Amino acid sequence: MIQIIANILIASSLYLLLANSFSLIYYPSRIFHIANAAVISFGAYFVFFFANKFSIPFSVSVALAIVGATLIGLACEVLVYRQMRKKNVPPLAYLIASIGLYVLLQNYISLFFGDDTKIINTAEVTVGNQIFGAYITTIQIITVFVSIALFIAVNWFLHYTATGKSIRAVASNPELCNIYGISSSKIILIAFGIGSALAAIAGILTAMDTSMTPTFGFNLLLYGVVAMIIGGIGSTRGLIAGALLVATAQHLAAYYIDTKWMDAITYIILILFLIWKPLGFSGKRLKKVEV
Amino acid sequence: MEYILHLFILICFYTLLSQSLNLSAGFTGLISLAHAGFYGIGAYTTAILSTQFGFSFWLSIPLAMFISGVISLIVSLIALRTVEDYFIICTMGIQVILSSIMNNWMDLTRGPLGIPGIPSISFFGITLDSKMSFLLLSLFFVALVWFVLRNVSKSGFGKTLLAISEDEIYSQSIGKNVYLSKTVSFTLSAMFAAIPGTLYAHYISYIDPTSFTVAESIFVLSIVIIGGLGNLTGSFLASAFLVLLPEALRFVGMPDNIAANMRQIIYGLILVAVMMTGKNGVKELFTSKAKRTA
Repeated sequence: MIQIIANILIASSLYLLLANSFSLIYYPSRIFHIANAAVISFGAYFVFFFANKFSIPFSVSVALAIVGATLIGLACEVLVYRQMRKKNVPPLAYLIASIGLYVLLQNYISLFFGDDTKIINTAEVTVGNQIFGAYITTIQIITVFVSIALFIAVNWFLHYTATGKSIRAVASNPELCNIYGISSSKIILIAFGIGSALAAIAGILTAMDTSMTPTFGFNLLLYGVVAMIIGGIGSTRGLIAGALLVATAQHLAAYYIDTKWMDAITYIILILFLIWKPLGFSGKRLKKVEV
Repeated sequence: MEYILHLFILICFYTLLSQSLNLSAGFTGLISLAHAGFYGIGAYTTAILSTQFGFSFWLSIPLAMFISGVISLIVSLIALRTVEDYFIICTMGIQVILSSIMNNWMDLTRGPLGIPGIPSISFFGITLDSKMSFLLLSLFFVALVWFVLRNVSKSGFGKTLLAISEDEIYSQSIGKNVYLSKTVSFTLSAMFAAIPGTLYAHYISYIDPTSFTVAESIFVLSIVIIGGLGNLTGSFLASAFLVLLPEALRFVGMPDNIAANMRQIIYGLILVAVMMTGKNGVKELFTSKAKRTA
């Protein structure tokens, strides 16, 4: 039982990080950035690339990987989404373009690294640390602390720095921001940068804990998306509640039914929320339809 | 020669799939990522009926369409409460749930083992075991579905759907039942998707869940978008292009595994290019036609 609680905590902290990454991009830009899944995978594969192929010291490779993956995220914004914004395309076009970008980037990973399962070799495999009777690996402890620390840091950034406040301003009204001299496209670029870096960190942590395939980012991203939608956009407490709910439901389903139904349970929760509580826990309305 | 016929049959399958998706995605603006799920329902219904109960092809086609229709009706009651981005995510969720059922409901679908031994189609004592005869049958269905969809799109109902995709609130204000039209369009689209499912099951004679995943849904949606929303001929041409593309890549000397990834990279690129320019389909990409204001 304690093991389950520990697993739920670890999973929910990871989902919190993923939801944080996705919502930071979605919040100011209103782009459903599916290609973020490829950024997650790229983060992990870059570590593999630098550390295992070129035997660059591990900490340096992690830093390089985060920078590399962030650049890919930024490239999506600058080369694709920004051009689309200039053309004033319908909102759905962003999501479809993003799916196209994801297919494109994911297949580049397959092309260069192959489709087989890969592991980032760090140290020899250990049993894990026993805490209150639950086995937790060192990397899982790091995941929990890094996720929570980053979550607090991002929220502090959004609420107490000028740039962070600008991100929130752009989220609530981009046109008004442009009138007041805040460049919305610059702010969106910053949001993409931070969001992509968070995604890369989440990818690296997951790949170090278990293993990776070129498509592993997609499921991770969707868990984050589900947590964000359940939580309600733009709400700090909502994100925590969403991540906790998704992780709890998944692990209870795994324990009482079977691990193979975890994905189905996640989406059933999402669909139930979309029907009965489409605004999530926070209840803040998205500016989806402007009549 | 056999292989070329095989490719033509695949083109028929994808034409059926993309044209049926075009009814909901193109004409009504319901971009669905659950289409491979309904394709799978068609295939699984046929596989189970023909292997366990000995149903013939002509009986399982209407039954597969019926079951796919019922499930899509239930799905539409859920999914149509959401709009735009959320509709896509919702249908993607439904696709994952359907794939999950195909993978995990061992008693019904045999899970990842798949269902083998689906018999060939036979009628009036003639067994369609040659590729040529199967191609002719597929062509018959392509022609039939194309004819039906063309007439639906030209009918008053089709015009209503087009109006909904242009402006939902306005359509409602001139007295069109938006919700009902959307439901009918989504359900019809899923019912037509069961036809290639049935054909596929009989053709390959073995089905497993890997043919009906989210990736397949994305592929079918890409065909529709590359061919142009609301453009049936475009869907056919895009199917032909994307099925023949890996062959063309192999022809220029690219190894098999790279060709498979290159195909996906190319269709990803086209998808992004089409969306970036705000044009509708590749056809408009090369002609300077006026932008469609969707």
